[in-house]
Amino acid sequence: MVSASPPIAEPQSTGRRADARKRRLIGVGRRLGARIVAALVMIWAVATLTFFLVHALPGNPVQVQYETLLSHGVPPAQALKETRIIYGFVSHEPVVNQYGSYLWQLLHLNLGQSISYSGVSVSHLVLAAAPWTVILVLSGLVVSFLLGVLAGAVAAVRRTSKLGDLLSISGSLLHGIPQFVMAVLLAYVFTTLLPVFPFGAPYDITVIPGWNLAYIGSLVSHAVLPVFAYALSSYGGWMLSMKSSVVSVLGDDFVLAAELRGLKPLTQLRYVARNALLPLFTVFALSIGFMFGGSIFIEDVFDYPGLGHLLLSSISARDYPLMSGTFLLITVAVILSNLLADLLYTFIDPRVRGQAS
Amino acid sequence: MRRRQSRDTASETAAGNEDGFEGLRVRDLTIVYGTEAGELAAVRGVDLDLPAGTITGLVGESGSGKSTLALAMLNAVPSPGRITAGSVTMSGVGDITRLRGRALRQVRGGVLGYVFQASQNSLNPLKRVGAQLLDLARSHGVAQPRLILGEAAKLCERMGLDATRVLSSYQHELSGGMRQRVGIVFALVLNAKVLILDEPTTALDMLSQAAVLEVVREIHAERRLATVIITHDIAVVAEMADRMVVTYAGRVVESGTAGDVLRYAAHPYTKALLRSIPRISGDISAAEPLPGRPPDLASIPTVGCVFRERCPLAMPICSDVDPATVSVGPGHTTACHLAAGPLAVPEQSEEVAG
Ligand SMILES: Nc1ncnc2c1ncn2[C@@H]1O[C@H](COP(=O)(O)OP(=O)(O)OP(=O)(O)O)[C@@H](O)[C@H]1O
Ligand code: SF4
Ligand SMILES: [Mg+2]
Repeated sequence: MVSASPPIAEPQSTGRRADARKRRLIGVGRRLGARIVAALVMIWAVATLTFFLVHALPGNPVQVQYETLLSHGVPPAQALKETRIIYGFVSHEPVVNQYGSYLWQLLHLNLGQSISYSGVSVSHLVLAAAPWTVILVLSGLVVSFLLGVLAGAVAAVRRTSKLGDLLSISGSLLHGIPQFVMAVLLAYVFTTLLPVFPFGAPYDITVIPGWNLAYIGSLVSHAVLPVFAYALSSYGGWMLSMKSSVVSVLGDDFVLAAELRGLKPLTQLRYVARNALLPLFTVFALSIGFMFGGSIFIEDVFDYPGLGHLLLSSISARDYPLMSGTFLLITVAVILSNLLADLLYTFIDPRVRGQAS
Repeated sequence: MRRRQSRDTASETAAGNEDGFEGLRVRDLTIVYGTEAGELAAVRGVDLDLPAGTITGLVGESGSGKSTLALAMLNAVPSPGRITAGSVTMSGVGDITRLRGRALRQVRGGVLGYVFQASQNSLNPLKRVGAQLLDLARSHGVAQPRLILGEAAKLCERMGLDATRVLSSYQHELSGGMRQRVGIVFALVLNAKVLILDEPTTALDMLSQAAVLEVVREIHAERRLATVIITHDIAVVAEMADRMVVTYAGRVVESGTAGDVLRYAAHPYTKALLRSIPRISGDISAAEPLPGRPPDLASIPTVGCVFRERCPLAMPICSDVDPATVSVGPGHTTACHLAAGPLAVPEQSEEVAG
């Protein structure tokens, strides 16, 4: 729907237009740069916070690790080295050195080593778990977006009818249910009360992973409930924002103008839809953070081996390197999604694009 | 010179025969808004002719139903409003109030060009002007949509706009005055036969206003349009209009050639309206504000003269009987009991009697 500029270009003003375009591009570039820097600063802040959290934990896990190794008869030099591999730093050094060495390791994407899965690097564990979470969160996002936006649009157009009221109520109601409760409810109803969906794990142990129907079918049927737990818990947000957005756009002068100019109903619909969807980018940013956060509860309820699950099990196993690695990754995912939403917004809304210059 | 000519055409057409009428003809139009107090008429029993080649100035206080009437000409009265009686007949098209769907859509924009009271924001903020012109062309089945851009560019240049820049701009990149002019371009680019301008120049300074109206008048004459200008600015009517129609509380209380109505106003409301305007050359203190307040929908009397509560000349009959529309001169009518009675303006009374 982003239209090309009209083909009329008179020679004498081409230069002026090119200039304007260049200025606009510089503006966009500056804005993008600022956003990216802000995101990097946030990631750095979270990494720092994680470092000091682990550092401040009662019982100093780094020191404990070192002493455990010593008590197992590991020579001190060797114990120091192993501790450094696990945490990225050792507590004998001054804090500044520890911090520097931790950041240095992070820059190399080295998150240390897990304690509970001994000998396995945190990066490896986290990367293995991440796809499951990402798939669930993205599917949940798509489903809730489609359901919510559709219902919101209908609720706006039919706002004086019973159907409109009903949809609005559905939005407010679902909006109020916490993710954890939603997950437990779905699990109880659809795996126990009416066992139509399997419980837990991403697929049946009986099927062989690969490009075969049995495996894919199993994946999908296991994913349905957690995806809906995500989707239903953020459906209300989409629905309510879409409704108010459509209502406000329908009241805009340009919508009446489009009608009075005899534009095709489909063209009018496109005008309204695009303008109404635009403000939802802020919801997108909120929603994605909400979903990654919710993975802790939802994956726990459905026993799904994603990042949330990993984070919880690392906490109960006091696996600090794994814990901070997982936490860091979840936060970075949220920050990056927000950045992406923001960049898309800049790209789509010409008014924001214009403001930069 | 040009103006003299078009005025003569106007009076001819107004007096001309019914069948050969070219333009837009409103008959006995009533429009109500559904409110908590029930359905209230915002326009009642209005007759109005917009002949081709004539500029009609429509004036009246805020809330007198001018925009409602204008929207009804496109059969586009917004809900909770609806047309309950009457017809809007366009020559060559038929009764627009009966059109639906595609036929109605083609008439809007294609035959009737409408320039918004709020044409500050009449464009989709997310699309360039040129792209929206292409949408317009495609919606109206123009064989080669791109040609419309050339047509629009010509109109833009005539309006004093840099066409290349405007067509590749978004609405937010244009100033208020530019947007208003672009609104006029959209109304004219498909060769509409009727041009409806609802307070077209409110966002413009005096000089741009004069320039834009001059261009509108030129194009009006070239294309022999039926043009109606809704305005609060009597000076615009005096300058531009061939005919003048005065509305009050949803009724047409007076109509005639602009010159006649301005010089020999017959209706007490028109007289009060004209007295309330400070002349540019005259003394501001000489302007007398209209006493009382314009009625809202709920307080418009349904029996008798709608103006009687503010009329200095009201008589007992005014509360009980609707004043009929009577002729007070050639092509000059008014709806007032006085005009029909012995107190009518002396110069006109002979003609009424005759
Ligand atoms: N949607 C609506 N619902 C109820 N009443 C309405 C609605 N729109 C307009 N009205 C009423 O109808 C009457 C005529 O309104 P309209 O906008 O046609 O007046 P106008 O002459 O164009 O005024 P202005 O000079 O301020 O533009 C007013 O009393 C107004 O309050
Ligand atoms: S009919 Fe009566 S109240 Fe109405 S304008 Fe004439 S004199 Fe005044
Ligand atoms: Mg109006």
